[in-house]
Amino acid sequence: MEIIEQVKTESASKNVSMNMEKVKISVQNLSAYFGKTQVLKDITLDIPEKKVIAIIGPSGCGKSTFLRSINRMHEVARGTITGKIIIDGEDVMKIDPVFLRRKIGMVFQKPNPFPTMSVFNNVVAGLKLNGFRNRKALKEIVEKTLKQAALWDEVKDMLNKSGANLSGGQQQRLCIARTIAINPEVILMDEPASALDPISTAKIEELIFELKKDYTIIIVTHNMQQAARVSDYTAFFYMGEIIEYADTKKMFTAPSKKQTEDYITGRFG
Amino acid sequence: MERHFEKEFEELKTAINKMASIVDEQVENSFKDMADSTARLYKTVKHRDREVDAYDNLIMAKCENLLALYQPVASDLRFILTAIKIDSQLERCGDIAVNIVQRIKRTDNFRDIISETDLPEMAKIARTMVKDAITAFINRDCELANTIWVNDDIVDELNKKIFNQLVEKIKANPDLAEPCAHLIVLARQIERLADHATNISEDVIFLLENEIVSHKKKLEDFHLPE
Repeated sequence: MEIIEQVKTESASKNVSMNMEKVKISVQNLSAYFGKTQVLKDITLDIPEKKVIAIIGPSGCGKSTFLRSINRMHEVARGTITGKIIIDGEDVMKIDPVFLRRKIGMVFQKPNPFPTMSVFNNVVAGLKLNGFRNRKALKEIVEKTLKQAALWDEVKDMLNKSGANLSGGQQQRLCIARTIAINPEVILMDEPASALDPISTAKIEELIFELKKDYTIIIVTHNMQQAARVSDYTAFFYMGEIIEYADTKKMFTAPSKKQTEDYITGRFG
Repeated sequence: MERHFEKEFEELKTAINKMASIVDEQVENSFKDMADSTARLYKTVKHRDREVDAYDNLIMAKCENLLALYQPVASDLRFILTAIKIDSQLERCGDIAVNIVQRIKRTDNFRDIISETDLPEMAKIARTMVKDAITAFINRDCELANTIWVNDDIVDELNKKIFNQLVEKIKANPDLAEPCAHLIVLARQIERLADHATNISEDVIFLLENEIVSHKKKLEDFHLPE
């Protein structure tokens, strides 16, 4: 209880310092459940626009559930939530999930390009699903998004080949291209580089730096150094609670909570 | 991973504490040699400096290893950064201790000159500064670390004063030019010793308070160009 009170006080003070930045998503007293099991406990935090927010914490702390609550995928897994998630002033529970997921793209841990589709069709799959058929415009979007995803130079001569033929790192960037092709405002990334080699990981991280110019990014990662490198703010979750949410530099140099310090220095978790 | 890190981290802590204790003894002995003509500690100090240098290399290697293999953060990272900086300050303090005993050896027949200047007073203050800086580091005592810089200005003033005292002596008796020149260098070395003690205390404050206090006053109104 004491921790929750401290976090609430801190979140409130954090919000004060974030007043200079536009809040894209405001999470208010969010609790999430699978049946009767509570996996998120009264989470309150503001996510500023066009910044990268890293969510860290040990396995089972509720990181992925938090991410999936934002685009309402938690309810697809028969989960329930209480509290509110407000995006651009609108309650996500009142937004049509299909429309919401167009606004909030998601990249998963394992690259998952559609295996039977070409690179080209993978990128425009979402657009085609939404009835977008203008071939010339689609070509332009493919080139633009593949360039944004730092993949164009590597695949421009094999657009009609299967996406499954690409390397793991390329496949993940293809998935990012597919996500940004539908022009979302927020990108959720659930361990986007954990299955990749260091070079591919570095490319994804560079890409995140580029993408934050246009998108708000929330990334769940087990890789502490990655969180420190790519994010502007970091939230530390533990057993469903938010323990600390602060500027990433502060979080990794002088966290204010002992639990955070112990976790990031590898002394527990 | 964690157990390896803890083990190596503890080894680093032990090594730097050990190095700090040796340097403290070296400085103590060098000043003893200066104050007491019968002490004859030149060889002891000179011989032990190899140990200081060996710890310097060992600590650098350990810090490099820890940084490369474990990518530490927060207080662990601050400790390693502090260890790198304090290691270097301690190594220089060790060199100065050797330099002091060398100068004392060269001016052995002119010990009266030392007592006719403020050198003993300067040595006393610098000695306390080094001792306090090392104690503040070993005991993680921020309060003590915060008291050290005050004496640095006093040592600087004494250095200027001693310089003038020795120049006057040379003017009055040119035959004393050589020993006085050695003692001018000796005073300068003691002044540097006090600087290193101040630097160590600033590193201790960084370690404990996560605040960079070095050059604070000097940089008050200064900003690097974009």
